[in-house]
Amino acid sequence: METTVSDSPPEHLSLIIDLSPTQWHLSSLDTNPQPLSLRLFISQVLVFLNAHLASRHDNTIAVLVALPGKNVMIYSSSDTIEESDHQSPLDESNTYQPFRAMNSAVVQRIDEELGAQEHGETEAPIGLVGALTKALCHINRLTHPTASANPSIAVPTPPNPRILIFSVSPDLSTAYIPLMNSIFSAQKLKVAIDVCKLYGEDTVFLQQAAHLTGGLYVNPERRDALLQYLAMCFLPSTAIRRVLGMPTQDHVDFRAACFCHKNIIDIGYICSVCLSIFCSPVPVCSTCRTKFPIKTLQRLMLNRPSPLSNGHQRTASPAPQR
Amino acid sequence: MPPRRRDGAYVHNAGTSSESEGFDDIDDGNYGDKRKNKGKGKAKDTGKGSQDKGKGKSKEQAYAWEATYTRSWDTVQEDEGGSLQTAVEDLLARGRRRRLLEPSSAIRRTIIRHLMLLLDLSSSMLDRDLRPSRFDLTLEYSRQFIVEWFDQNPLGQIGIVGMRGGLGERIGDMSGNPQDVLKAISDRRRLQPDGDPSLQNAIDMARGSMSHLPTHSSREILIIYGSLTTCDPGNIHDTLDACINDKIRVSVVSLAAEMKICRELANKTGGVFGVVMNEDHYKELMFELVPPPAQRSASRLTGGSTNFSADLMMMGFPTRLPDTSPLSLCVCHSQLKGEGFLCPRCKAQVCDVPTDCDICGLMIVSSPHLARSYHHLFPVKPYQAVTETGLSPSPKCHGCSHSFPEKPSATGSDPTTADVISPLGRYRCPDCEKDFCADCDVFVHDVLHVCPGCQ
Repeated sequence: METTVSDSPPEHLSLIIDLSPTQWHLSSLDTNPQPLSLRLFISQVLVFLNAHLASRHDNTIAVLVALPGKNVMIYSSSDTIEESDHQSPLDESNTYQPFRAMNSAVVQRIDEELGAQEHGETEAPIGLVGALTKALCHINRLTHPTASANPSIAVPTPPNPRILIFSVSPDLSTAYIPLMNSIFSAQKLKVAIDVCKLYGEDTVFLQQAAHLTGGLYVNPERRDALLQYLAMCFLPSTAIRRVLGMPTQDHVDFRAACFCHKNIIDIGYICSVCLSIFCSPVPVCSTCRTKFPIKTLQRLMLNRPSPLSNGHQRTASPAPQR
Repeated sequence: MPPRRRDGAYVHNAGTSSESEGFDDIDDGNYGDKRKNKGKGKAKDTGKGSQDKGKGKSKEQAYAWEATYTRSWDTVQEDEGGSLQTAVEDLLARGRRRRLLEPSSAIRRTIIRHLMLLLDLSSSMLDRDLRPSRFDLTLEYSRQFIVEWFDQNPLGQIGIVGMRGGLGERIGDMSGNPQDVLKAISDRRRLQPDGDPSLQNAIDMARGSMSHLPTHSSREILIIYGSLTTCDPGNIHDTLDACINDKIRVSVVSLAAEMKICRELANKTGGVFGVVMNEDHYKELMFELVPPPAQRSASRLTGGSTNFSADLMMMGFPTRLPDTSPLSLCVCHSQLKGEGFLCPRCKAQVCDVPTDCDICGLMIVSSPHLARSYHHLFPVKPYQAVTETGLSPSPKCHGCSHSFPEKPSATGSDPTTADVISPLGRYRCPDCEKDFCADCDVFVHDVLHVCPGCQ
């Protein structure tokens, strides 16, 4: 049963960092029980990334950041890093060179991207799903090397991919369908999606993502000990996690967002033709233009507000009003 | 190519129909050019048209042995470097073209599906013209089909009926749980082929087990038929009329040759009919039935009055309880259990979803079940092949961040593929106008169903 290191494939980690300026500002306020600033967070993440790279020489990483309205891949192990930064190696002569290169590249690109943000009145929605789809495209390319690559080079064993999302923003219900599609693609590619919720309420959709792909959803109780969470929960590969005691998700909410108002609901009205979800009975499906029979509408309308009417409908309690 | 030539056998299969235009599109996808000169047998007279894949050429060449012998491997051209890259790209282009022809707008599809799988278990299934045998291959493909079908139709249900010894035999009841269905066909010995098949008995049995279904769900029958005869107690055309009345869609995959009644069953009920050419084609024919059918095909047949079948359903999305939660009795089995799902309306604990809550009758589904089918509703638009770059092309693919090749490949200049294969290896989304590489193009449309640029 013992496998040597060379038997198991290397690990690939795609890191997605939610860089919403507003949320990070709120997170760093002193009113929080444990304020966590972006600077502090980045430094801990860099240690984590170094640990991941150090645990095996052919481990790879890709770092993507989600910004309001856009998303960028800022670092990938397969990229060649231009040594354009003028920091002479002597500055940090005691650092392992690849780590230093990676650290400086990541920090520099994050600075650039944050600096390039426009300071509007309202923040555009965060491009988290876009970053997720890009990470999946990248992983697809890594795990399925195709003929377009030079055939003369021996194909290395495809790495064991996983995705880690650092989330600070609340759920974005407009991104429900693309996010679900990404989750199913991740299932097909056998990619585990880990989620570390750093700030704010639990997000229903990311919980589902972690649950459906076999990843971890961790909402650290003590954010000042973030590095420890990272090292204990997210550093081990999915194979090793089976023998370790990992934090489990207690309640997974399988709620969905309705198509009409993008509310997150627990009882919905479903079009039988296209399975669109609505938060209240509607006469016409907005997605497929199906007209629903007026009888059904009346029945559902009656059913909804009053608990005692329609005994034959077997309603034990009213549907919650939202 | 293995020396499995079934052509001769089919010349004897008289009494089958010759209409088989339906196959053209399948052929053009993969086999087209390489095979089209091999008109086998007399299409019109002996009526084995389906075997020569409905090519018009077969009508000119009377018999297979009169046709010029084509060496299919000669049509694969090596390029100057001696590599098969060109041929591979050509195949890719065909795949792309087929996809481009598909409608990208939202169409109505039935999503709550009910399928009866009718397996031929007659002695003709013991034939070994499909490796390892028709029977084993059918079981193997059925398993794959069921897994894939449930993956794409999570709210659907499948039942299985066998045709053996002149009877319809119930093998697996209608079930929404893939494991139950797979278990029903897991025992190979229990399904050992024997005797004659009876189409009528099996269809009647399938029809009976679907009679109670609500109107908004689809009723489908998929017949895997290896025999060339059917042994019926009555008039099978009555059964056919009954299927039309019940709006049951019958699709037939024939392993031997085309039979008039099979094609009629498929045509008149809006289903698909296909004759298997080889093992891969068998799988292709079967898996074409995995995606939910568009509803317009049904409406055309029933005269357009489809709206009555639509309905608005109330569904609840449960909360999942973890293993570690305090034990409580589940309402479905009355067992003490920690894990389970909570009905959002009455807070009763049920073991598995999708189900109807035993307390309040609410249909409980987990939202991922619903979401699995949304990509059918909102497909990604096909990307356009970029033939010339603008002033400042992006250096990297927007999806995977790999660099694009700097100079155009020579192979892409072929005018037949220019509209679908980009010489630059760039494919552009019409909406967000970002460029993607060929790999990402395929991945986005086949798996991801989300354009990374538009998000």
